[in-house]
Amino acid sequence: MHEVSIIQSILRTLEKEFQPEQIRRIVQIDLEVGVFSNVEPVLLENAFEAVKSVTGKMTDARLHIDVKPIKIYCDACRETSLIDNYTFVCHACRKPCTNVIQGTELLIKRVHFSE
Amino acid sequence: MQNAEMGMTEKSTRAARGTIICDNTTMALLKANDYVAEAIRREMDRRGVLLINLTSSPGSGKTTLLQETGKRLKDVLRIKVLVGDLETERDAERLREAGIQAWQIVTGGICHLEGQMIMQALENISLDDTDVLIIENVGNLVCPASFDLGEDYRVTLLASTEGDDKPKKYPRMFFTSDLMLISKSDLLPHLPFSVDRAIQDARDINPEIECMTVSALTGEGVDAWCQWLIDRFAQKRRSKKPEKSYDVE
Repeated sequence: MHEVSIIQSILRTLEKEFQPEQIRRIVQIDLEVGVFSNVEPVLLENAFEAVKSVTGKMTDARLHIDVKPIKIYCDACRETSLIDNYTFVCHACRKPCTNVIQGTELLIKRVHFSE
Repeated sequence: MQNAEMGMTEKSTRAARGTIICDNTTMALLKANDYVAEAIRREMDRRGVLLINLTSSPGSGKTTLLQETGKRLKDVLRIKVLVGDLETERDAERLREAGIQAWQIVTGGICHLEGQMIMQALENISLDDTDVLIIENVGNLVCPASFDLGEDYRVTLLASTEGDDKPKKYPRMFFTSDLMLISKSDLLPHLPFSVDRAIQDARDINPEIECMTVSALTGEGVDAWCQWLIDRFAQKRRSKKPEKSYDVE
């Protein structure tokens, strides 16, 4: 949800970090989006296109979205489990576990510039 | 007057005292909210104020429950409420009529409360004489789930009229909640809602989540909910960190 605000946030974050000349040379933005972040990758892509066409910024850039599944780490048996149905139970020992180690990310991982 | 004859109270849209106007709160960084939430949390810890984030769908009974809570606890806990809505001051007015000090955050179009809004609101109210600050969030089970407001506890209402299969449909909200209050319990005899099923659904996502049933209308469970608040407040006061003193006397 709020994909347009998130794209605007990404734009502002990059504009804080880089000079306008560098911004024009951005060709790819790598994002890590966790499944539990409530952000839908397809909607992010659409929002990116919309924001680009409205602002005229980063028109050569594309998004690369790495979707991170939800993973929990069980302290009792030291196993990591992949959770795909929102039932937070360790797959190895069946103990309930809410220690989420992956899946809530919403980050800019890397920015690629043209020469 | 026609409205009075129909037994309806006139809906108020006048601007009442206690309005907090919030500036544009879009985040500059994706993690900005968490930093703000931590600042709020530190301040609440310093003051020993219990901060509750109360969430639910629209119409689950948050304001009504807070009215009852305020009435029962008026000589026990000093409670203040910040209530968020897209438009109107209705909830803050209802709470004030019940004797609770309340301030309305009008978000304009934003469907949830964020840390920055709470931070701005706190600049306008005094917490010196406060035991518990309850934030009544915008009625929405989706977006508020992602925004830490610096709370000690997140309490989510699920009304008996909403269906017992909702927790898994809104996993992040129930995952991040500490207590699920099944509200409007007086209607349970008339509904196919299974309290056991709803609790199991919530516990699949969040094994630690506490569950209670309440009816603000009949009073069922309200004392237990009030006791829950009293106990959590006592815990908070006991764990209040001593103030660091930088003054050289």
